[in-house]
Amino acid sequence: MADEHNAEWYENTFKRMIYWVGGVLIAGTAITYAIDKWGVAEKFGLLTAVIFGLTVATIKAATVIVIFMHLKWDWKFKTISLTLISTVLFFIGMMWLTVGSEVKTYESNDGKPGRIDNTWKHGEHAIGLNKPAEIQPPKE
Amino acid sequence: MEIPYNSTARPDTGLYNGKVGIWLFLASEVMLFGALFSAYVLLRVGAEPGNWSMGLMSKEVGAFNTLILIASSATIVLAWVSLKLKDWNGYRKWKIATVVFASMFLIVKWGYEWPAKFTHYDVTFVNDKAAETVFAEVLNKDDYNDECQKHHKEIWSARYNIDGKDWGSVDTKDKPLDGYIVGYYTKNENGEREHHKVGQTFGIYFWSHAFAWRHDKRNEGRTTATGAKRDTFREKGVVAVEIEPAHGTWDNHTDKHASVTDRRYAKAGDGHATDAGGHGHAITIEAEQISRVSSYEPAHSTFFAVYYTLTGLHALHVFGGILVMLYHLMPISRRMYESDPDRFTNRIEITGLFWHFVDLVWIFLFPILYLF
Repeated sequence: MADEHNAEWYENTFKRMIYWVGGVLIAGTAITYAIDKWGVAEKFGLLTAVIFGLTVATIKAATVIVIFMHLKWDWKFKTISLTLISTVLFFIGMMWLTVGSEVKTYESNDGKPGRIDNTWKHGEHAIGLNKPAEIQPPKE
Repeated sequence: MEIPYNSTARPDTGLYNGKVGIWLFLASEVMLFGALFSAYVLLRVGAEPGNWSMGLMSKEVGAFNTLILIASSATIVLAWVSLKLKDWNGYRKWKIATVVFASMFLIVKWGYEWPAKFTHYDVTFVNDKAAETVFAEVLNKDDYNDECQKHHKEIWSARYNIDGKDWGSVDTKDKPLDGYIVGYYTKNENGEREHHKVGQTFGIYFWSHAFAWRHDKRNEGRTTATGAKRDTFREKGVVAVEIEPAHGTWDNHTDKHASVTDRRYAKAGDGHATDAGGHGHAITIEAEQISRVSSYEPAHSTFFAVYYTLTGLHALHVFGGILVMLYHLMPISRRMYESDPDRFTNRIEITGLFWHFVDLVWIFLFPILYLF
């Protein structure tokens, strides 16, 4: 940890945190299991169950990262990481504006992605690539 | 010359050298597993209806392994805290506990889960008539006596009753009969059938019987003796196999399940959908009735291909972690602790960061591979 703590903090505060996080992780696992056991997918739809299950998994992951991996106290590293991650998110956003707007993969009848790839169709049309080539007769 | 920031943190990043290194490594690991997770999701949503065989997993085993990894994550932090408190014995105690938990995870994975799958077979048929003949033989057996066997018959009747059910677009021949291969027949030079017994397919025989059987009608056009793919029927000259049907993998296709997804396979925990052994009712299926025999190995289906890739890579990480932790329990590590306790404590922290990452991966693997 970047921020040094004294022995008392490790002995009392941090150890208590470890047991709490352990409890949260066990409870999260039980909840995830129960979601399936209670038939949430059957009652409310598969998507609901997946969102619910993965939200619990994300909460579990967050507690591991923040407490077990001590990111809570590595504040300088946390700031650097978040800055780097935000640049990646910005990059993805910019790419989505350019590439993403051209991609349509949900046009098939069965709603499955990737069946019909319409990537670049729009751009193709705009620059005239979808038209047959015109052969100019040689000039006399 | 002394290397700076080996034990102390750099003022600008707040991290010592090793910690920067492990975070960079973990970033590359995120990309590696991220690519595989993405592949899984795309294959899942792009799969034809009814062809995603995740219902064959035992979610109880998955949940058990999750709890084991969580426990190991807690013990490895406690080991590091012990070093911070200058308590070597406490460190040893928690570190050994972590190694034990990690080993338990691998024993469950490689000693039970995988081999149980590799000895459990699916059989599909050349046409609907062949399938109906075999299913009728399974259902009409009249020696179902004890409670388990009666329950077994109920499940089978619900799943394979070919008269009163609408199975949608899936043909009867593609409904897999699952179980354990306990014997086979060949023909000798006089044209007589010879019976061969196959050893137990459960217990200690797990790995020795893994991948023992493979057959696919599509291999018949191959010119070589074994074909490009190994084919047990051709190698042994098999004319019939003896199989002990297990729980029945087919979904009941009740309305509630149909509304969720057109699953070809039953959900785990739905009846006997675990790797329980056969029920002692071996039936004989002629080779000419069979289109494919495959254990739940990577070649079985897209789901299992991705499942073994993801869990195999994860298990290798667990194995690597165990080796490092064992090194940290050896006398050479004790000597390092005595000569430079701060640096050794940092090493344990780094190992812990890696281990938590391994735990994180499993936290997401469990729901996507076992539950949803």
